[in-house]
Amino acid sequence: MVSPILLIAVPLALAFIIPLLGLISQKLTRYVPAAAMAFNFVVALLLLPQVLQEPWVVQTAGFPPPFSIHLVAGPLGVGLSLLIALVGLVVAIYAIGYVREGDVARYHTLYLLLLTGATGMVLTGDLFNLFVFFEILCISSYPLVGYRGDRAGIESSAKYLIQGAIGSSLVLLGIGFVYGLFGTLSMADIASSIDSVSPMKVFISMAFLITGFGVEAAVLPLNAWLPDAHSSAPSSISAILSGIAIKAGVYAVARVVFTIYGADTIPLLVLVVGILTLLVGEISAFSQNNIKRLLAYSSIGQIGLIVFALGIASASGVQGALFLVVSHALAKGLLFLSVGYMIYRTGSMEISSLYGIARRMPVSSLCFTIGAFSLVGLPPFIGFPAKFTVIRAALERADPVFTALVGIVLLGTVVEGAYFFRIVQGLHFRPPPESAAPAGAGQGEAPISALVPICLLAALIVAVGVYPSVLTDYLGPAARDLLDKAAYIHHVLGV
Amino acid sequence: MSFLSDYIHYIGSFALVLIGLYVVLVKSNLIKVIIGINLIDTGVNLFLVSVGYLHMGTAPIFSQADGAGKEMVDPVPQALVLTAIVIGVSVVALALSMAIRLYQHYGTLDLRKITELKW
Amino acid sequence: MRKALSLAVLLVLALGLASALRGPSVGAEAKRGELFDEQKVNFGRRYNSRAREETGASNVVASVVVTYRGLDTLGEVAVLFIAATGLAALLHTGKQRRSGEEAEPSSLIVFTGCRFVFPLILLLGAYVFVHGHLTPGGGFQGGAVVASGFLLIYLGCRGRQPDRQRLNAVESLSGVAFVVIGLVGLAVGGSFLLNFLPEGSKYALLSAGIIPVIYVFIGLKVGSELGGILGDLSGARR
Repeated sequence: MVSPILLIAVPLALAFIIPLLGLISQKLTRYVPAAAMAFNFVVALLLLPQVLQEPWVVQTAGFPPPFSIHLVAGPLGVGLSLLIALVGLVVAIYAIGYVREGDVARYHTLYLLLLTGATGMVLTGDLFNLFVFFEILCISSYPLVGYRGDRAGIESSAKYLIQGAIGSSLVLLGIGFVYGLFGTLSMADIASSIDSVSPMKVFISMAFLITGFGVEAAVLPLNAWLPDAHSSAPSSISAILSGIAIKAGVYAVARVVFTIYGADTIPLLVLVVGILTLLVGEISAFSQNNIKRLLAYSSIGQIGLIVFALGIASASGVQGALFLVVSHALAKGLLFLSVGYMIYRTGSMEISSLYGIARRMPVSSLCFTIGAFSLVGLPPFIGFPAKFTVIRAALERADPVFTALVGIVLLGTVVEGAYFFRIVQGLHFRPPPESAAPAGAGQGEAPISALVPICLLAALIVAVGVYPSVLTDYLGPAARDLLDKAAYIHHVLGV
Repeated sequence: MSFLSDYIHYIGSFALVLIGLYVVLVKSNLIKVIIGINLIDTGVNLFLVSVGYLHMGTAPIFSQADGAGKEMVDPVPQALVLTAIVIGVSVVALALSMAIRLYQHYGTLDLRKITELKW
Repeated sequence: MRKALSLAVLLVLALGLASALRGPSVGAEAKRGELFDEQKVNFGRRYNSRAREETGASNVVASVVVTYRGLDTLGEVAVLFIAATGLAALLHTGKQRRSGEEAEPSSLIVFTGCRFVFPLILLLGAYVFVHGHLTPGGGFQGGAVVASGFLLIYLGCRGRQPDRQRLNAVESLSGVAFVVIGLVGLAVGGSFLLNFLPEGSKYALLSAGIIPVIYVFIGLKVGSELGGILGDLSGARR
């Protein structure tokens, strides 16, 4: 009997077991996250066809919702769990060889718990439970950012923690308001009684929740922590933060806004915030010399685009946003992973020191190029249909404001293309720097344990780009999961 | 004036949150900032518990010495606050460990001096 | 500049919070001290009236924490585990002060006194979490008391330190046990964290199904976890 609760319970149990396993053999602990994520991948794959028609509402403790915490495993939840499991598995395999120093067993424990938190977030149907899993995600990412223990790492993880803690407190404040106003914590229950409360109070509670979750989602102006955190973390953690963690923050905001408050309440402000985030992210990335900071700012830009797509609030807009989530998770994960060993070989994060590295590391450079082109939105990679869906959704609104915003999106894409082309050109065609000996470690291409995940991600980017229908068939039901408030309430409460 | 005494727990919790937020935003000593985070958490927890308060209510525990007929307060916010306190403690513990490491690296806890990462 | 800006932000926030205080709920019908409409507390009323039959616990908060909102408690246990793990990972690469080499050993009176009081504190903590379903308290509170006993040892008995490996083992095993109990509920009754043990009679120690069992595991986990955190923070050797 394969219940969605296993997607949370099994990785959690395995994470608790890792220290015990470490008593027997430290080496064995490195494989546990990969095993857990492989399990999750299989379970999610098995559940997905089942939940496409009707979400599976899992109750806990034997009591029906809303009196107990319940999971709502719909197409969106299970689909995102699948994505988390996939990216988590790939990065976990990469980390087997990449993480050598420090307390390795504890790294893997924290990493597995991060993924468990993200999985729990997308599956739950209870607002406070969403907060608890959100905290699992955030709190496990704070020490992972500072894992290396160097000055930059600890500093950025401290600043990340402070901002994240404020965000969490704001979420709690919002939950307090929600409970006081509605007397319940089940998201479906709140959604069904949303009209019985004055709009002003609804707005206040929504503002707190969105701001609090928005810190992790890294929307403007709450994203001050992101460039430092993503660039100072070990590359495997940067990959999972950019790929999964910030998306989970966006999911929380989307779920709260769409399912509880209703898609018609989305103000124009959301679109403006999305566009501004996009612009700030891309323009800041353009002027960066540090490759990881550049990628971090690019993540900010992409989050802005996803928020913009959600703000369109139509079915195709949400589908575009989900498409972008998948595309960015794969591409940004790929970029950070391939860059990880490049930095390790050259000992520097400066872009100029990576010039000409394609000769020594051809496979990594090729995969980096694929990821970069996908992010910009070139065919035949997955980024192209993703961006196309978003732009088409915006144009469908036939509103001059939207058309103007689309122009800005295209401008952002141009900027993105500019800096990525510059890097790709540098990797392949520029001569390597004149330094006497590279400051990094090792020669030649990255080891197999790193190349396998990198090539897997690249292959997926190409495959889905060429056959987008593999993904788009699921986007429709997933978008409906988010948008259709009445259906959600009906499935959970039966009314 | 009875407004003040009737709603003192709400006013107090909001005041704690605002004071804590002020400390986090303005103070430059890392330990003070961590204390500020703790203040915010305390304020929010107090707010959560106050939501469940019923006038003249009693604790939601059945005991053999039962105070007959009194209404029990809402147990759900108390359960939420249990979780929230533990989460707050976890965050503060992590922050303190970061403070220890920062002190080992920089020799100071002044956030204005800990600016290795620039634009 | 920063002060002015943050004061402005706080003012906006205060106004937002204050506007929530006013409004139709605060009217003649609302009883004193309650901000939100009384009828919204129906949810809580339902728990208060039904918890004893449905779970057998006298402490309604305990039944809410372990049964109705058990998944939250599992998450909370995970968060504490994350904090202990992250803290240890962060302090791992730093300089370690070997305890016992730098700190001077405690005097005989302090040492003996601490050794005498430590089991009593553990007993108090165990009482709190074993009776969690009957009296105020529970796993987390009892675990915190246990951890204060460990703090006493770190501060007072500087020559002897608790065995970190055993603490870590207890911590992990308790966490696994919590999840396993939940999974047993899934296997037996089709619902994670189902209360599958008999409910027993009111006010008895062995009642309320899995609630005391889970509380025991939580108490052990929290106690060993917080003890480990305190040890790491005080610079003890890992």
